[in-house]
Amino acid sequence: MSTNQPQSLGAAAARSFKAPVELNWQRLNLIGAGLAAIGILGFVVALGLGQESRVWQAYLVSFLFFLGIAQGGVLLSCGIYLVHGRWAKNAVHMRVAEAGWPYLAVATVLFWGIFLGRDHLYPWIAQPLPKKAAWLNVPFLFGRDFVALVVMAALSAIFVRVSRGREAIKWVSEPDTIEMPPQGIRRLAPVIAILYIYLYSMLAWDLIMSIVPRWHSTLFGWWWFEMCFWSAICASAFVAANFHTLLGEDSAFSGERILHDFGKLVFGFSIFWMYLSFAQYLVIWYGDLPTETFFLVVRFWHQPWQFISFLSPILNWVVPFFVLLGVRPKKTPAILRTVTLLGMIGVWITNYVMVVPSLSPDVLPLGWVELTIAAGFLGLFLLCVTPGLRLAARQATHGAGGIE
Amino acid sequence: MSGEIALVSTFASEEGCARGIEELHEARVHDFKAFMPFPAEHVLEASQHARGQGRSRVRLAVLIGGFTGFFTAIIMTVGTSLEWGINVGGRPIASIPAYIVIMFELMILFGGVSGVITFFILSGLPAFDPETGYRSRFGVDKFGLVVRCGEAEAEKLESILVGAGAEAVEREAVVVEHGAAHH
Amino acid sequence: MAAAIETRIEPDLVDIDRHVQQTLAPGGLKYWLWVLFCAFWTAVGGAFWTNQIYNSFEPTGYGQPTMWAVYITDFVFWVGIAHSGTLISAVLFLFRVRWRTAIFRLAETMTVFAVATAGLFPLVHLGRVWFFYWLVPYPNERYLQPDFRSALDWDLFAISTYLTTSVMFLFVGLIPDIANAREKAVGFRRTLYSILSFGWRGSDRQWRNFSMVYLLLAGFATPLVLSVHSVVSWDFATTQLPGWHSTIFAPYFVAGAIFSGCALVLTLAIPMRRMLKMESLITIWHLDNLSKMVLLTSVVMTYSYATESFMVWYAQDPIELATFHERYFGPQAYLFWMMIFCNCVAPLPLFLPRVRTNTIWLFIISIFVNIGMWLERFVIFVGSLSTNADPSQWKFYTPHLVEVAMTIASFGWFLMNFSLFAKFLPIVSMTELKEGIGYLKQAVRGVYPYRKAA
Repeated sequence: MSTNQPQSLGAAAARSFKAPVELNWQRLNLIGAGLAAIGILGFVVALGLGQESRVWQAYLVSFLFFLGIAQGGVLLSCGIYLVHGRWAKNAVHMRVAEAGWPYLAVATVLFWGIFLGRDHLYPWIAQPLPKKAAWLNVPFLFGRDFVALVVMAALSAIFVRVSRGREAIKWVSEPDTIEMPPQGIRRLAPVIAILYIYLYSMLAWDLIMSIVPRWHSTLFGWWWFEMCFWSAICASAFVAANFHTLLGEDSAFSGERILHDFGKLVFGFSIFWMYLSFAQYLVIWYGDLPTETFFLVVRFWHQPWQFISFLSPILNWVVPFFVLLGVRPKKTPAILRTVTLLGMIGVWITNYVMVVPSLSPDVLPLGWVELTIAAGFLGLFLLCVTPGLRLAARQATHGAGGIE
Repeated sequence: MSGEIALVSTFASEEGCARGIEELHEARVHDFKAFMPFPAEHVLEASQHARGQGRSRVRLAVLIGGFTGFFTAIIMTVGTSLEWGINVGGRPIASIPAYIVIMFELMILFGGVSGVITFFILSGLPAFDPETGYRSRFGVDKFGLVVRCGEAEAEKLESILVGAGAEAVEREAVVVEHGAAHH
Repeated sequence: MAAAIETRIEPDLVDIDRHVQQTLAPGGLKYWLWVLFCAFWTAVGGAFWTNQIYNSFEPTGYGQPTMWAVYITDFVFWVGIAHSGTLISAVLFLFRVRWRTAIFRLAETMTVFAVATAGLFPLVHLGRVWFFYWLVPYPNERYLQPDFRSALDWDLFAISTYLTTSVMFLFVGLIPDIANAREKAVGFRRTLYSILSFGWRGSDRQWRNFSMVYLLLAGFATPLVLSVHSVVSWDFATTQLPGWHSTIFAPYFVAGAIFSGCALVLTLAIPMRRMLKMESLITIWHLDNLSKMVLLTSVVMTYSYATESFMVWYAQDPIELATFHERYFGPQAYLFWMMIFCNCVAPLPLFLPRVRTNTIWLFIISIFVNIGMWLERFVIFVGSLSTNADPSQWKFYTPHLVEVAMTIASFGWFLMNFSLFAKFLPIVSMTELKEGIGYLKQAVRGVYPYRKAA
């Protein structure tokens, strides 16, 4: 990082009039709207062409992926507060993490798309399992999951409001005290965290694991919500790396420290994901019980799924681990950007590999249907996330005076 | 480096000691040692800068140790399985998922031990001989900067040290130390 | 109960030094009586073990199908406790957590002696102890190798790596402090400290290498915290026994380990700070944050119990359902419900700052947690073995005198070692407290950092 000392008073005077970088948010909004339009178009055309299975599978995968980033981001902000992580100026790391929160409200509406496509996703609807029917039945499952999404969205909205408030920002700007965060945060953050682990495990069991009603893994919920959390870390690091380059030297995103800290989070939680994946794999491999192994066999030892299934740990662990092992790569924005982008693609692929092979074991449906629908979700997500990112950029360059 | 006397200066704060090192560096004096009660960042940075040093080589030793451990584990586990060749529970002869645990543990074991051994070597420990300029108070709350010089430069260096904020500067005859140069 | 917040004069570097060094003063009569008491129980354990080696397992309650019982419970209990010591000292170091400074040395010491205690139990529960070395890969004339596929062999590597790394981490970290203590010591202590500090002087060259090796050891110890207890959990999860074969075991056990260890740190720190007059070094702030770790891991444990229970129902496997039915409603179900109370309910008051800043409450809750975590291991291991896949083999287990004595002896052995260490080597890190003196001053100032809504 270059020194900020001007060479002379004249230079200092000229320096102080340099306007902070303004980014073109309109362009991002247009891209978002465009992608959303492509998504809707692809959705309608595919349904019209009779590709319902592919449409609803792609819908579920992308829904889960972006939900994970949005909610994981709010959880990341909660987590940073709870561990007193005041390592970025003006709380920009919280702003970036929280930026996805409006998507949570949108997700409560998009969730009904899964309801519309349920017959193509959940075999227990057409052939109910009597012993599990108390849990796996349409009204109860969709009702409780909807309530879960609403509760989390509401709490997240309240939390973000408190986190952007004056007291919270003041607390973040005093990193060398042992003071606790303000009361609103102290109350809400643990509640959100605890509800997250239970409700998002439930979502994983209901929306993913029940696709194969005869299979179960006790670690599945934990593994999935940790992956969501990691995808949010990747998204936040991706944004931070971009802001570092785009916002110039006078922003809170400049300097190596913030990239290093985000890089460490990406690195560490990627290892944790791999650990949770290995924990499931090892137990299933070792026990060799047919009721459990078939799930892995279809994915890892069966064509056409083998390549894309192995891509999941490669993008989620191998790449982040070996690339971000050293200190220098974590501080390099281009490297951090690439690794986190690949990581997010990896999480999408992982969700895809969890959902689709059970429904389509012999055919690998990855084409315009999946890509347009993913683009559609991406577009909606971008539209939701732009206001939050805008606030983050503004607070990074103008200081935290611009409170909403 | 010849130096018949050692100037033992005491500083009350790490910033003072760091300043002392920087001023010595500007006066192109590098035969110094800084003592601290805890690893003070400012002093360590100043010292590293003055000596032109990069990161400690302990890191490299740990890396090499780790790789050695990892590959030793692979050779041990896979090698012995292939040699004995028993089919246990229908698993492959070289059951890699099971061996990953051992590969991981040995990597950590070898890496850690290499690091610690290298630390002792690079720090010159054990060092039971008397050390010029060391005072007990440098382990309690004061920072020490010990500069070795000839009789001629002593006055000038003393004034540099006092100028940087030393509380006291003593003179001491240098004790001949065994072993390699103390950098 | 009012929080015992003491307002003291702000410490400076000399105060920290003096304060910690005064704990190294030779122990009085009460101290040596306590050590003797612990040594007595250790001797009792030694006697019982000797008898067991000579007369085999007949006096114990062991028998098919519970061929693993109290000893494995003790083993996992002590290994678990060891992990949170490493967590506090290594993981929190990596995350630059401020409150770790006053308690991490205590936690690391706890780790080393807990692993040393745990390591005895696989030997204890081997009937033919003299064959323990078969686990080690050594060249022999029969060209035999241990089965590296076995989780028990993974244990050998994991635990010995963990013991080695923890000991190295503890002793390397101790070197600067022992050097400091050496300066003021006389006689036998001075010789001891001179040897153990290797002649450390605290020069910049030494500190530079020290910081690097400490950081790297901390970086290595962190995955060890996860991996070692996961390996221990896989001793059970890699079987097909109902109640054991569960993918969640690895992170669940790790969380449980941290939970029980943090509680034991509280159990040790609270009396110790009173007895050694260290209330202004190990402050309420430190205890408050430690108890938050206890609370966090308690939440994770509750989640794990809930998930396991739900998944047993969801899976609808008749064998598993039967095992868990026995666990919840069978003849030994009271142990399970005691465990739920101790692990899930008793730590709930820790949500209140009032409770977290009250040493008496903290001590009581930590005792509950220790009991609860011991019971948890017992319930899982012995419970699943007693009610395994074949009902004709079912037989419930009751511990006999031998097992009870060995368990108490393990506490005696641990406490004896820990107490000896605390009096001879600095149990609080002077170096790190001095580094973080800014935070210590705030903590000691007595203004408790909970702002009400502005």
